[in-house]
Parts: sequence; structure tokens; C-alpha cells
Amino acid sequence: MATSKKIVLLGHFGVGKTSLIRRFVENTFSEDYKVTIGVHISKKTLKISEDESISFIIWDLEGQDDIKKTRASYLLGTHAFVYVFDLSRPATFENLKTEVNYLIENHSKTPIKVVGNKVDLVNKEYLTQYSGKFDDLVDLFVSAKNGSRVESLFSKLAKELI
Amino acid sequence: MLEPYKKKYHQNNFQFILVDDFGAILESDNNLFTVQPKSLLQEYHPFFEILNSLLQINNESFEFSCINLDFENEILITDITILSQDINENLIIIENLTKHYNNYQLTAQTRNESIINSQVLELKNEYLLEKETFKNNFIANFSHQLRNPITASIIFSDLLINSNLNADQKNYLDIIQSSNKDLKNRIEDILDISKIESGKLTLNEKVFDLSKLLKDVTTAFKILANKKGLDFVFNLEDGLPEYVKGDQYRLKQIITNLLTNAITNTNNGTITLNVSLNYIRAKKANIHFEVIDTGIGIEASKIDAIFERFTKLDSAARNDKRIGLGLSIVKYLISEMHGNIHVESEVNNGSKFTYNLSFKLSDHNESIKEELLKYQVPKLNKKYHILLVEDSELIQLTILKILAATGNFYINIISKGEELVSNIINKDVDLILLANTIHDFSAMDLAASVRNLSKEYKKTPIIVLSTQAFKEDLKSFKRARINDVVTKPFDKKILLEKIYKNIK
Repeated sequence: MATSKKIVLLGHFGVGKTSLIRRFVENTFSEDYKVTIGVHISKKTLKISEDESISFIIWDLEGQDDIKKTRASYLLGTHAFVYVFDLSRPATFENLKTEVNYLIENHSKTPIKVVGNKVDLVNKEYLTQYSGKFDDLVDLFVSAKNGSRVESLFSKLAKELI
Repeated sequence: MLEPYKKKYHQNNFQFILVDDFGAILESDNNLFTVQPKSLLQEYHPFFEILNSLLQINNESFEFSCINLDFENEILITDITILSQDINENLIIIENLTKHYNNYQLTAQTRNESIINSQVLELKNEYLLEKETFKNNFIANFSHQLRNPITASIIFSDLLINSNLNADQKNYLDIIQSSNKDLKNRIEDILDISKIESGKLTLNEKVFDLSKLLKDVTTAFKILANKKGLDFVFNLEDGLPEYVKGDQYRLKQIITNLLTNAITNTNNGTITLNVSLNYIRAKKANIHFEVIDTGIGIEASKIDAIFERFTKLDSAARNDKRIGLGLSIVKYLISEMHGNIHVESEVNNGSKFTYNLSFKLSDHNESIKEELLKYQVPKLNKKYHILLVEDSELIQLTILKILAATGNFYINIISKGEELVSNIINKDVDLILLANTIHDFSAMDLAASVRNLSKEYKKTPIIVLSTQAFKEDLKSFKRARINDVVTKPFDKKILLEKIYKNIK
């Protein structure tokens, strides 16, 4: 039996939300950046056990540099949020704490995963230099490009949502 | 009459679908995409999965804008309104706005790409700047580390030359002294470049005797040129002001670098330095300098490149062992002095470097003469007590040898900063020579500990032996009531001049 769960991906533009979804749903990656406008919705079913699976209805929202600008209707009936930032662009995690706090305050019962994408583009020294900005908040460092920990992100969500 | 148009341009952009409370299709006009009655709308696109939760709420209207409905053959970008009603009959209105949103997409694409590119560029700049700063600090620190051994090497070879040496030994020592000088100049060049790159190179303007400076420089270069079998001609035009205000050290560096360059690149013929007055205007003298050689010359296409850092023209005829910083420094210094350097050159016929520099005229020639006289070694009628605080044994020995050779000083040496105060109180100390850093103490800390003692110690002259003398360092020394600074590597003359000037 498949349970449907709505997952909403949020974050600044160009952080790789669409790429993460494409990697998870189609296992593909493109270097070309195409702006998402409005929302794209994809579906992928994960098998949890022999007789149990979960269908992710993944809402890929247009990037916003301020979470408050997100259209409220997009967030209706959300089961989990994934907040994505780009590790290689500090501007995308400059206000991470404020953004995440806003989500927590307004959707206290909805799980949130904070994800630093493009980990393949940065080195250890860089991560140490900027760690103060995201260390307390980040759940996973992922790479849509090489697929690192993308599956793991959605598996964790599946376990939390079942 | 309007109906056909409305149908074509308005109604065709809408699809109306009626569904029950579970999303099963009751009716659809299929204007935008085809659905089958009784099937679940959720099966056509994952967006409609939202109906599962929304249709549980009665008599509400939900509006969703810019929803991308991607079907197998096309993508519709739509605004969707869901009206949930309590009669098991819910209305879904889908408006196709693909054209409109595609236009917006183009604008957003350009805007976002431009913002992302500028952020990436900013980060790259930041990274490059950090790298540059690291490099400059490394060069500065590395060069400073070399100063103590070079200072010792210069001074001891100076002392050795006056001892009983046979001809061979004197020759060997000449080579050592020449190598010392080369090494010192190269380190100074590297330090200058690091100062230039970090914006820390500033000009230090003082009144100086222009003709004396030029004569001093040319005397040394005449010997060098003659050693290589070259003629050396120095033409100093009459009527040049005697005293001018400017950075004499940097002027000397410009001339020295150009003359060194000329001698290096000339195998026979003449090296000429011409200095003449262009004009005097607004209390400033504009002076014309020319350095001419009859050397191997430079190809026209390579003239601009000679001023680039670490550039050495690849020619078998060149016997230049330097690292290619001299002309780059020359160009920078001339531009800092508001001048321009011009080069004319012909391969195998030689080169001519010309530049004009302005110097303020000094109104106080007489007083300056007196000031200059003060730097002469005085005839002392007693022996003075010098306290040297230095942890480098090499520098301790070097200074000990210099001061002992004069016969004018008693010297007490300590290697620990914490011993300074106990070595001053109730002891005869006429001057303190203080290393810039001694273990955990800075010269500023130690100077403060002396100045905080009773009144009689407040005026004891303190000279710092520093590895660096940037403008901000000098200001800090002044604030700490340090009287003077000797920068490493120093020679005997500089050290003694500073001691005599301050000891009075």
C-alpha cells in the first residue's frame, strides 16, 4: 500500500532544488541552469518494505531569497519541507537561521530537512570557514551532480513520515 | 458577433472540470487536456493529489498560480482554482497562461543568471584576495627571517676586510661581500614588491642634498662599469637646486636599478647618466633623468613587458642573474612620484630610459646643512653604556663587534625581556638597543615598561632593531615613545649614526 506525502523544496534560486529532484526521480543531472517559475510537481514511489511504500509528491518551488515571499497556497497540505542552500554561494545561506526559524514558527508540526547542496564544489577549508553560518542547522551535505547522499535524504524523510 | 472570438481567444484557454469529493471526474470540457469521465483526476498529474486533502474542506476556494502541468507531449503553465462544495460536486478551473509565464521565465532567467554570476565572481575575488594576502604575508615574513643572518654576514665581512688578510683571502672576501650585497638587494626587491602589492609602500619625503646623492651613486657605478671595461659618463647640469624635498632612498633606488640594468645588459661601450633641470615652477623643480647604455637593446615588441614582474627577456646575450623585479619597482616608484618612464631601444645598439620627476624646493638649506652635520660621528669625551636586549646570538655578536671596535661604549647584553627593568634600575644606561620581539615580548611592551618607571628613566633613548618598518609600525613605535628605529639588515654606518644621533 502506497501512502502519498507532499514534500516541498524551498530555498534561493540556483541552489539546485530542481537538480536534486531530477537526481532523485530520474537519476539524471544537467549542468545547464534553467530557472523554475511557479512550481513543478513530480512523483516518485519508494518501497519501504515488502508490503509498504511511500509516494513522494515533490513540489519544486521557484527560488526565493526571502521565504516570506513564497505563495501560501503552495504550502497547503505539506508533509515535509526540504530547505536547500548552495554551499558554494554564501548569499544563499547568509540568512539560513531566519529562514528556517520562519518555517518552524509557521509550520511547527511539519518536519524540515536543511540541505547544503553542491558539496562537490567546496573543500574542507571552505566548509570550516563558513561552518558558523549553517553548522547548527544543516542535516545533510549533498551533491545533485554526483548523487552523493541524495537517496539518503529522501530515505530519511520516508522513515520520518511513515 | 463576439462569441466566436471569445470562444477562440478566451474560452479555449480554460478547462472546467467537475469532480466528486474523491477526485473522480464527473464532467470536463477537455479544452486543454483530455480526461475520461469516472477516472480519478489525480491519475493525470501529481498536482491533483492535493485534491485528497482540499476536497475534505467544504465551501472553500483555493487558488494556485503558475502550476507547471507537464504531460507527455506538452507543458502547460496554468493558474488553477479549486472550488470545494458540499454537494459532492467540486469545480476545478484551469487557465492556460503558458505564453505569459514563458515570457516571465526569460526575464527571470536573465536576472538570476546575472545575480548568480556576480555572487560567484565576488567569491572568486574574495578567494583571490585571500590568496594574495597570504602570499604577501609569506614573502614579508620569509624575507624578515633572512634579515638577521644577512646583517651578520654583511657586518662581519666588513670587519674582516680590515684585518690581516693575504691577497687570496681578500679576493674571497670581496666575493662574499658582493654576494651579500646582491642577496640584500634581492630581498629588498621582493619586500618592495610585497609592499607594493599590499599597498604598504609609502614615500618618505625629507630634505636632501640632490647633487651629493647623485655623486655618491655614480661613484659606485663608475667603479662597477670600469670593472666590466665600460666607460661611465655622468653629466650633471649646472643650476640644479642643491637641496630638494623628496624620498631620497627611493630616488636612489630608481637610479641604482636603472644603472644596474644598463651595466648588466652592456658588454662594451658607455653607460651615461644625464641629469638636467627642466623648469622651476610653483616652488618645485622638475628634473630630467636619462640612463643610456650601448648594450644589447630590446625588441620594440618586448618593451612593455620589461616592466612586468618577474619578466626577464630571453636572450643568450643577457647575463642577468637578477629575478626581474627591478624595472617593475622603478616603474611603480616613478608613477608614485607622479612621473612617467619612457624607453627607446634598438637591438644591438642600446637603450635609453628617460623620466622626469618633480621635487619641492627647500627654503631652509642652511638649517638642513646643520641637520646633516649632526649625523657625523662626534668626538666623545666619555664612554657610554649601551644595554642591548636581543635574543639572536648572531645579532648580539654583530653589535658587540661594531660597538667594541669604536672604543666608545660599554655594552651589557640581555636575552630575556623580563630582565630589562632590573638591568636599568640603579644602573648606568645611556641608550637601550631593543629587538623588535623577544620571545613573548614586543618592543612596544618593553619600551612601555621602561617609560613607566620613575622620571629619570623616561628620557633614556630607546632604539628598536626592527625587521619591518612600515608606516604603521613607525607610528606605533612613536606612540610607545621609542626614539628611533634601525631596520635589519643594517650596516655598521647606519647603526652608529643612529646611536650617535640619539645618545647626545
